Formats: sequence, C-alpha cells, structure tokens
Amino acid sequence: MTPYVKAPKIRELGYELKVRDAMDRNLITVQPETPMSKVRGVLRSNRISGIPVIDKNKLVGVVCVEDLVNWLRAGADNCSVEEKMSKNVVTLYTDEPLIHAINKLEQYGFFHFPVLERSNGELVGTITREGIIRGLLKKLEIDYREEEIRHYRASHVFEDMIADKTSLIFQYYVAGQDFNRAGESASALKKTLKRLGTHPEIVRRAAIAVYEAEMNLVIFARSGEIIVKVDPNQIRIEVEDSGPGIPDIEKAMQPGYSTAPNWVRELGFGAGMGLNNIKKCVDEMNVTSTVGKGTRVEMYVATKKESVSYEVKGTG
Amino acid sequence: MNLAKIKEILKADLIVGSSLEREIKMICACDLMSDVLSCVQTRFSSLLLTNLIHPQTVRTAEIAEIPAICFMRGKEPQDLTMDLAKKNDIVLLSTSFSLYEASGRLYEEGLPGCGEYREAK
Amino acid sequence: MKLKELVEKFDLQIQCAADRLEREIKGGYVSDLLSDVIANGRAGDVWITLQIHQNIVGVASLKDLAAIIIINGRQPEENTIEKAKNEGIPIMVSKMCAFELVGRLYNAGISGTR
Repeated sequence: MTPYVKAPKIRELGYELKVRDAMDRNLITVQPETPMSKVRGVLRSNRISGIPVIDKNKLVGVVCVEDLVNWLRAGADNCSVEEKMSKNVVTLYTDEPLIHAINKLEQYGFFHFPVLERSNGELVGTITREGIIRGLLKKLEIDYREEEIRHYRASHVFEDMIADKTSLIFQYYVAGQDFNRAGESASALKKTLKRLGTHPEIVRRAAIAVYEAEMNLVIFARSGEIIVKVDPNQIRIEVEDSGPGIPDIEKAMQPGYSTAPNWVRELGFGAGMGLNNIKKCVDEMNVTSTVGKGTRVEMYVATKKESVSYEVKGTG
Repeated sequence: MNLAKIKEILKADLIVGSSLEREIKMICACDLMSDVLSCVQTRFSSLLLTNLIHPQTVRTAEIAEIPAICFMRGKEPQDLTMDLAKKNDIVLLSTSFSLYEASGRLYEEGLPGCGEYREAK
Repeated sequence: MKLKELVEKFDLQIQCAADRLEREIKGGYVSDLLSDVIANGRAGDVWITLQIHQNIVGVASLKDLAAIIIINGRQPEENTIEKAKNEGIPIMVSKMCAFELVGRLYNAGISGTR
C-alpha cells in the first residue's frame, strides 16, 4: 500500500477520512473462555484473519490465524482462547484519521485492527485493508461525482432543458460617470460565459464588445442597462442608455472620431475607437439613437461553428 | 522572454503578483484602452506598458487577457487598481524609466510589438 | 538627427509644416495622456502619440516640442492640421505601432533621457 499512500490525493483523503468511515461494524468476537477448537470455525466462516477477544465488554486480546497455527503445532490440546491469544493489542480509535490505520498496517504487518470508541474504550468495529481501500474508493467516487455534476450542470444547461427554445438572459445595470466600476459588467459577463462553456474566442469577442459599449455608457450617460440573451445559436447583446444620444451615427462609427470631453482622454478613453472596436468583434451591429433621449446598441455574436468565422474582422 | 528577465531589464519593482515565470511574447505600449483592446494579438502572452495607473488599465487587461502590466516613471497604482489585479491574477510592475526609455530598451532585447508579431505568425 | 532625416529614415508621412524639418531633435517622448506630456515633455522632443484631436497642438506648442508623430496609421483631424499649420508644428504619421517606432528611434540614437 505504501506507493499509493505517497500519492498526494490519497494522502489528502487519508487525513480527511476517519477510521469510523472505513471500519467494519459487523462485530465478530470470542470470549476468553471460548475453546481454541472453535476458533478455526469462526475464522473460516467469517473469512477473517483475527478475532477480538471480549471480556465483559472490554477488549482483552486478539486471537488470529498465527495463534491458531501455533496451537495446532503444539498439539492442539484442550485450552481456551485466553491462553493462546495476543494480549498486546494494537488498536485504533474511531476518530483517528484513516492515514493512521494505513500506517499501522505497514508498520505491523497485520491485516486487521480492532477499533475502539475513545470515550469508553468499547470495541465498536474492525478495520482491514479491504475496508480502507473500499472507504477511499467510495470517497473518491463521491468527490468525482460532485465535480462532474457541478461542471456538467453549467455547460450542458441548454441540452438539459426540455423546451422548443431555451435561452438565458443576463441583465446588468450600469451607473454612468462611475469610472471605478466601469467594465464590471463586461468582466462579469466574461466569467459567466466561461462557466457556460462558451468557446473562448467567442467569450473574448463578446467581452470586448460589451466593455466598449459599457465605457461609452459610463462616459456619456447617467445610467443604462446591458441585456445579454444567450441561446445555443447566438449571443444577443443590447446596451441601452438614457444619455445625450448620437447626432451623426455614421460619423461616430469612424475610427478616431470622438465627442468625449477632454478629461475622459486623461483616463485612457475617448479616442474614438469604441464603436469601431465593437463592429470588429461582433457579427452584426445596429445603433439607434435619438438626441436628447438616449442610445441603443444591438449586437449579435453567432455561437454555432458553421455560421461564423472566428477571425476578428479588419486589423488593429 | 519571461517577466523576471523583463523586470531586470527595466529595473522594475514588483507591486502585485508573483508569477514572474510567465512567458512574454510581445509588448503593447499604450495609454488608450480602446487601442489595447483592438490589438487582437495581445492575449495570453503580452506585457502592457502604460502611463495610466487608473483601475481601467487592469479591467482592460482582464478583458483582453493580458497577464502583466508595467507602469512608468515609478508611478504607484491606486488601491482599487491593485485589488483588481490581485483578484484577476494580473502581475503589476513599476519602473522608473519613461515609456519611451522602457520601450527602447525592451525593443533592443528583441521583443516585438503587435505589428511585427503578426508578421511572424 | 534632424526631423528631415527622421522622416526619410522611417518612412513618415508629413501632414503639415513641412518647412520646419530642419529642426534638430533633442529626444523622444511617448504618451497619450496630455497631462503627462505637459508635466514631462521637454523642448525639442518628438512626441509619439495616438491622439488626433486638436488639443495635441496646444500641448506641443506649450512645451516647444519638435514634432508630433501619430502612429498606427491614424490620420489627424482637420482641425488639428489647421491649428498645427498656424502654430508651425510638424505633424507626421507612421504606420507602425508605438512600441516598434519608439524601439527604432531609440536604436537610432534618439534617447528618452537628457
């Protein structure tokens, strides 16, 4: 077992699991008065290699195969378990980490140990090599299952839902003029799309497009909303604000054209690249605006392989 | 070239992060965030050199997937900038050189900018 | 190095004030933040930037910069060119990105420190 114990995951589990998690509670015991002749039968029918000896609820010894063999060799005379048992019993407590059991197995070369309840010293079970292996495997399987469920749940959401059409809607509220928080929605969307298992290139493009739109909102408007609708075929993003509106949309789309106030430039923005960047990242884009009322930017990013080329259109 | 070597060349201080073994394949020297975003090549293995110490620098780096930023003229970023960098696992460095000097020195070491990196592909 | 040599050597496109190219270049500065250039720019520097709006002319004038080089092939706004003509500030355009242009200028001996 030693090579396995050295493996970090097994060791970790060995500390996490306790002896009580892997022990066998089916107690087979004998008493000190039990005749040795009965021992062979008990060992065989229960397929064990050692039997704890109990005297008035207390563990007083263990009689195992070796003891039986020695008794047979010595003539198999009429005597009780008490005379042939090992009195120096190596035991474990229920609350000890399983790694102690593993170590003791190595150390002593026994195949089994009695397990006692720490509070009253009562025998409550036995721990064997098979029990340890079973306990570890069971825990590994539980961990694996939990991880699988967590992962599966997020990325297969569309396949699991039973409907003619399934879509997820994420809404983000954006406060205008707040440059410390600007970009939070784009960042949140990016993490969300990643969890959904969206292709990384699509995530990047969507995140950049939303970021640029969000920045425009923060620079020009008092407040606004970003609504992202995700379905298996595409991501639809709508950014709406109640800002000043865009008088000349065509001009605004030109790279380098900007109506941003000067102080915005000192924050690294307002260079007039925003709308153009969005256009390069998305498959379809629509800007509508009414001066004095607000602006709405609609964008579509296709997510099905057949309907989109992954290259960002144009160059930097 | 890895970040540790770049840190040496720029005689820079490490402000946030510890992943100096990160490999850097190209440099983006820019103060305008929109332009950083439109440079598609930046992701995964580029270093952003900038004069701008505002938290937006880190947000842009996060969206563009740039793993490290170096500020110029010994400027120390604001607390919010540092917090965002820690949260998003972005390394922050600060050098006392100007953006011009820093760019010149790194260019001499053979690191490409976006244009040349594109051609190499 | 004179501005004239710079234009030839790095294939820059002159947008205005072509008569001012005899000026000797003292150093280089790259920044897109106006406040930064106002604080740290020095007379005789060539200023490399992405900004194309007319405020850059005001800054260049104030700091007596030798010229403005706009990168990434960006074209300055019409207002900007007009203003630069009036102030006698040469504006040039390079197709390269900041890092590459600065790298080459540095290599050619134009330093960032005095």
